[in-house]
This record gives sequence, structure tokens and C-alpha cells, in this order.
Amino acid sequence: MEATSKQKVPLPNRLGIVGWAWAGRYKIERYLYTLHRLTGFGLLAYVALHLVANGSRLWGEGSWESTLNFLSNPGFKVGEYLVMAAFIYHALNGGRLMLQHLGFTLGKPKPPIYPYVDSMRRRRPLTLVLLALIMGLAIYVLVAFVIYG
Amino acid sequence: MRENHLKILQYVTGIGIFFLVGLHLLLMHLAKGDPEDWTSVAQRAASASWLAAYILILIFGIYHGLHGVRGLILEFSLPDRAVKVLNYSMLFVGIAVFGYAVYIPVHAF
Repeated sequence: MEATSKQKVPLPNRLGIVGWAWAGRYKIERYLYTLHRLTGFGLLAYVALHLVANGSRLWGEGSWESTLNFLSNPGFKVGEYLVMAAFIYHALNGGRLMLQHLGFTLGKPKPPIYPYVDSMRRRRPLTLVLLALIMGLAIYVLVAFVIYG
Repeated sequence: MRENHLKILQYVTGIGIFFLVGLHLLLMHLAKGDPEDWTSVAQRAASASWLAAYILILIFGIYHGLHGVRGLILEFSLPDRAVKVLNYSMLFVGIAVFGYAVYIPVHAF
């Protein structure tokens, strides 16, 4: 009975945010997970800015035009591209995480015969395909940004 | 609500955002003329389907974002009381942001 109540106590998160970057030999998937969080924060910041910018519409056409003028500087254009790249990454990696959490991409269990191959490494091709897709889409959007502005 | 239900909602809202924001971006870029032009903005503001899409994006986006942030904060092994405060704070922030954000398209409609 005591053992059950002890199990409910969460383990302390000793590493804190530092653990996102390093806590031993992380595999590529762990860094993708960290990047997922960072892009999530970036997208939240963008949504906040987007809502404030859209709010300027409430004060009429003049206010809207001056907001657009303010946002048309090159710094914001670069930011806009980064938001698109973050959206692509967060969406595709989120899909991968979802499939893994629900068990669709875990593969069949295998007997532990040496040399051991953990399930993470067995599903690595999926991760690599996903990364290639993200890179391809990010480059496509970059080209579209450069051509169409 | 149990944590696994909240997590399933996180997945559902994520998929919803992907399609709705994707559609929003596609339609904005495929539209003739400048989608940020005042006439074009006013035209979209008068459309009931755009209004519905904006409200859905808001609901999905606010839930997905705040639940994600909540998950990160919960990793710091907070005591029960702090978790309760966090839950109510997230709910309050979500309702406040939704109230402000939904007022913009509803006012323009």
C-alpha cells in the first residue's frame, strides 16, 4: 500500500531547462523534441503579435495601413519566413510524435538478440524522411518568399 | 478532465490547426490582389465562413498553445496546490485572450 502511494510522488526535475539541451547521450529525436518546444514558443509569440496587429483594424483603415507599414520592414519579413519554417517543422514533427505516442510507428517487438537495436533506431528512417520533407518545404517557402516577397 | 483526455484534445486541436491555418494561408496567397489591402480585409470580415474559420482557429490555437505551455511547466514537479493555480491561470488566460481575439472579427462582421 505504501509503495503505491510512493509511486504517485513525481520525481523531481533536477536538470530543469538545461536538461532540454544535455543530459547524457541524447539521440537526434530528443533534439527534435527540444526544437519542437522552441518552435512552439516561437509560434505562440507570433500569434500574440498577429492578434495585436489584427487588433489595429478596430481603429479603421488609417490605423491598419500604418500597422502594415510598420510590419513591412525587412526584419519582420525574415521573421515571417522563420514563422513559416517553424510552422512546417512543428506540424510535421507533431504528426510524427502523435503517431509514435499512439503506437503506430513503433514497429513490432523483437527479441533482444545482440547487437541490440532499440525501437528508436528502428524507426529512424521515418525521422530522416520527415527531416528531408521539412528541409524541402522550408527551402520551397524560402524560394517563394524571395520570388514573391 | 483526465490528463489523457486533455492530451487527445491536444492532438485533435493540432490536426485542426494544421488544416485550418493551411487553408487560411493557401487562400490568402491564392487570392487575386493583395490580401492585406483594406478592401480585401473588409470583404473577408463580412463573410460568415471566414468568421467561423477564425473562431475555430482561435479555439484550437489557444487550447493547443496553453496546454503545451502547461505541459512544460508541469515537468517541474509542482505541488498539487500549484498545479491547481496553474490550471486556473491557464483557463483565465485562455478565456481572456479568446475574448479579446474574438472581438476583432465579430466587431468587423
